[in-house]
Amino acid sequence: YLHVALLFWQQVILCHCTLDDLRVDGRSCEDYRYVEVETDVVSNTSGSARVKLGHTDILVGIKAEIGRPKLDRPNKGCLEFFVDCSANATPEFEGRGGEELGTEIANALYRVYDNERSVDLKSLCITPMEHCWILYTDVLLLQCDGNLFDAISLAIKAALLTPSKIPKVQMMEDEEGTTEIELSDDPFDCVRLNTENVPCIVTLCKIGQRHVVDATLQEKACSVASLLVSVTSKGTITCVRKIGGGSLDPESIYEMIETGKRVGKALHAPLQDILNKEESLGKSREKVGFIG
Amino acid sequence: MPVDTKRLRGPEESQSPWLFVEQEQQSPPDEREDGRRKGQVDVRPIFARCGLVSQAKGSAYIESGKTKVICSVYGPRETERKDETDMKFGRLVCTFRFAPFSCAKRCGWIQSTQEKDLSLALLGSLQPGLCLHRYPRSQIDVSVLVLENDGSALAHAVTCASLALADAGIEMYDLVLGCSLRQEGSDYLLDPTFAEETQEPATESTENRGGMMVALLPSLNQVSGLLCSGDLEQQPLVEAVAACIEGCQRIYSVAQRCLLTAVKKKNPPPDG
Repeated sequence: YLHVALLFWQQVILCHCTLDDLRVDGRSCEDYRYVEVETDVVSNTSGSARVKLGHTDILVGIKAEIGRPKLDRPNKGCLEFFVDCSANATPEFEGRGGEELGTEIANALYRVYDNERSVDLKSLCITPMEHCWILYTDVLLLQCDGNLFDAISLAIKAALLTPSKIPKVQMMEDEEGTTEIELSDDPFDCVRLNTENVPCIVTLCKIGQRHVVDATLQEKACSVASLLVSVTSKGTITCVRKIGGGSLDPESIYEMIETGKRVGKALHAPLQDILNKEESLGKSREKVGFIG
Repeated sequence: MPVDTKRLRGPEESQSPWLFVEQEQQSPPDEREDGRRKGQVDVRPIFARCGLVSQAKGSAYIESGKTKVICSVYGPRETERKDETDMKFGRLVCTFRFAPFSCAKRCGWIQSTQEKDLSLALLGSLQPGLCLHRYPRSQIDVSVLVLENDGSALAHAVTCASLALADAGIEMYDLVLGCSLRQEGSDYLLDPTFAEETQEPATESTENRGGMMVALLPSLNQVSGLLCSGDLEQQPLVEAVAACIEGCQRIYSVAQRCLLTAVKKKNPPPDG
């Protein structure tokens, strides 16, 4: 989908340098680029976050709405994902160009997040088989510079970790049998989601004999295949997926899983610290927004 | 509004009556139903045949337990897209479909998100096995239809598709074979049936539950597809991948024999 044309000699040099643990911008094979996370950027949502990972810019907005639960999961809520690859990011996405990439990312997100293990779906249920909270998660790609999955997963985790404004509701049945929604009078009486098991995705790209974390578009052009590993803060691996058109040696898969688990586990603690700090600043927090 | 008089449409939203039946909470059985062993590389016996669909360039049919998968390959055909990559490499298009009557719950005719996801996984698994640089400016269409889903549908779809591609005469580096696995606690169940795939856990806190599919190129020993979801620690995950790889190696001889039979039928040896 996103092509960066590299000449053959450029690819060779990049592969050789990666063998010596040296990448184009000076990072080591397991280093991430500079990440900026900001939450509560959009006021009409129940939770939102913006993540800038190098030049990749992702905006996630979560809106909670009441709907019918799925038939095979009557006492659980659910998450619905939609990924918008608009022409803002690159002109290749004009019209329906970005739809293929968007569905690929959305399908991967369903597999990673829409299950009981990652998010406490039972707490989203209001009345079994009748009403539940559906979290409509919309992801906007503002800029693409490689490593979309990692940035999107960081943004989703940040958006879920903020005090989501999901109000406490009760369903009341009056004499005629019609159900009414009763909301508490206190606007701050909210349900806070239990997000300790929400995983983070780490994408590892195989370049030559080694694998790198957080590949830029140039490095992606030199790699034949990537492995997507989603890791929770406890170190359990919730999803592994091979993407790309090449094949991998079983030994490299084992190594990549180990690296993915190590890097992924280490991602959660700093993110939690930063978000706690942001929350504690409260009203005095400086909002950077989109211009800063 | 024009009304479609040729088709009798059911109500907009219809549900199976089985959903309203009280299901007893059954704990997972200690032995597997069909006599295979837990924690051992026991795949179901496979019946495979090539060359069923006369109109297609190549086709294959696989039956494993009650899972039945059929695949047709059309191509290489000329394609109009003039991308730079298209000039040098062929394009592979995979479509994975469940027949509406294949699963316990009726699937619609429109491709659902799960089917699109599995189509992408199928594409990623088959691509490394094909010599696409031999078919520039062309498109190869692979269409897989699951007639009955009794577990491991994607794994058998991968095997079926690569047999069909070989039957169509598309140049390949190696066959691509698929094998799936279900991890429950400390045991793994290779080539699970549908009931084993959707089994509820014995207790809420059973650790290490998950499902996995591995696609392998056996003689090159390269993994071309890996799709895993669940809640797994690193060590059981690595062991599960190794078990799937061994399962794929077991299927290899059956696949080779099937192709030999098909080739001999197409070109019978001269008499005398």
